[in-house]
Amino acid sequence: MSHVLAIAGRELRSIFATPVAYVLISVYMLFAGFIFFASLGMFLVQLEQIQALGMTNLLEQWNLQDIVIAQSFSTFAIFLAFVVPLLAMRAFAEERATGSIELLLTSPVTSSEIVAGKFLAIAGLLLLITVLTGLYPLLLFAYGDPELWQTLAGLQTLLLYSLTLASICCFISALTRSQIVAGLVGVAVALMLLLMPFAAESSQSETMKAVLRWFGTSTHYEPGLTGQVRSEDLAYFGIVIFASLSMARAAVDSLRWR
Amino acid sequence: MIKAVALTKRYGGLTAIRGVSFEVAKGEVVGFLGPNGAGKTTTMRILTGYLPPTEGSAVVGGFDLSRNPREAKRATGYLPETPPLYPEMRVRDYVRYVATLHDVPRAQRSSKVDRALGSCGLEKVANRVIRTLSKGYRQRVGLAQAIVHEPAVLILDEPTSGLDPIQIAEIRELIRRLAAEEGRTVILSTHILAEVEAICQRVLLIAYGQLRVDARLDALREQGSLEQVFVREVQSAASRDADAAAAMAAAAAVVEAEP
Repeated sequence: MSHVLAIAGRELRSIFATPVAYVLISVYMLFAGFIFFASLGMFLVQLEQIQALGMTNLLEQWNLQDIVIAQSFSTFAIFLAFVVPLLAMRAFAEERATGSIELLLTSPVTSSEIVAGKFLAIAGLLLLITVLTGLYPLLLFAYGDPELWQTLAGLQTLLLYSLTLASICCFISALTRSQIVAGLVGVAVALMLLLMPFAAESSQSETMKAVLRWFGTSTHYEPGLTGQVRSEDLAYFGIVIFASLSMARAAVDSLRWR
Repeated sequence: MIKAVALTKRYGGLTAIRGVSFEVAKGEVVGFLGPNGAGKTTTMRILTGYLPPTEGSAVVGGFDLSRNPREAKRATGYLPETPPLYPEMRVRDYVRYVATLHDVPRAQRSSKVDRALGSCGLEKVANRVIRTLSKGYRQRVGLAQAIVHEPAVLILDEPTSGLDPIQIAEIRELIRRLAAEEGRTVILSTHILAEVEAICQRVLLIAYGQLRVDARLDALREQGSLEQVFVREVQSAASRDADAAAAMAAAAAVVEAEP
């Protein structure tokens, strides 16, 4: 365990030694803030219109939770498809490019410990991003009364979704010496997974439809963002994270064989 | 301390080393010589557990590398040709990190880190960021990380390359001290024949993937200067094995491309 913590600690410190993480997190928070307050503004305008037209039956469904929080979280998930791969791309690619991977591979450290350490560092970063994201809905608690548990479920889903992308990108990063390649392929895969449920709609076969839908990340984060925590979604995130990290471990093992 | 038995490494169809066997006793300083691409780095990488051999086996510090790789790695300090440094880290933090990876107990970590920094003359730059150090100091940081866990075996791939004459003298003195006073076993590769004469007791010469010479330095001196022996052996290996020479040149390119 001390190996894992040492590797994770070093990784985190070196992530923050370059401006990459600061820039990415700042840009993400800026866009997220813009989307959040734009949708809040829209919500208020529409609320006034509904009241002016006297459609009081609509007011039931017209709540802060579903319209503002869930919908902006859904947009954040798209941003994360860009941010997470760019944060995770360096994990192994950088060490392979500089040759420092030779230190890890000649130390009495297992491949599992290396992968766990790297993933733990990114997980810490993603936890920070999730907490920062939580600041926006927190503002609403000061002025309105959104559902606390639904909001927390949404944040938890964003975190699980980010961790899933991070595990996939860890694996991709272990396959190449180029950070840029790892980052671009990571973004491409993240977007592909995001769009899979849409591809499913146009598919002819029912099995294909089900498969594409199951693999799509949006299939599994959308319910969570509206507060529905379903065990099948948790299972999806768990399975993909476990499978990706296992593949990353195999990729690190294979570095020893060349 | 080190025992290599019939080590062979193939990269695809290319044979980098073939049937390399030798033994090194405790406290010996062995110079590993050979032309570029001869298989020195490949052999060292096998001994450090970085590469598995295609055939053969190796025992380092009493541990078989294929059966007890962790114990063997714990007993080994390794300075690769390019020191595996993290440029954004401070010298002390970096050496401490390597100590943790090599299972130095927490209670002893600070004292062992200080000791390694002291041995390598790094006290004054201990809090500097590695990126800001000169090449000579980086090489010393590389050496400090190799010795911090006080390994029984040190494997140094060109430890003095790119250093100025004064730094070279200092590093040689350090290596001699590590072997003589602390009883560490050292294998070092180099292109500088004078270096071998200055610090090694024994010479291993590898050419075209095969071990050509394994002799004590004083025995070799009877056959002429080290340079004469080197040239003679490499040329006779080349003439005997023209095909192998071509294959080795290709293998050298592969070795340099990874990791």
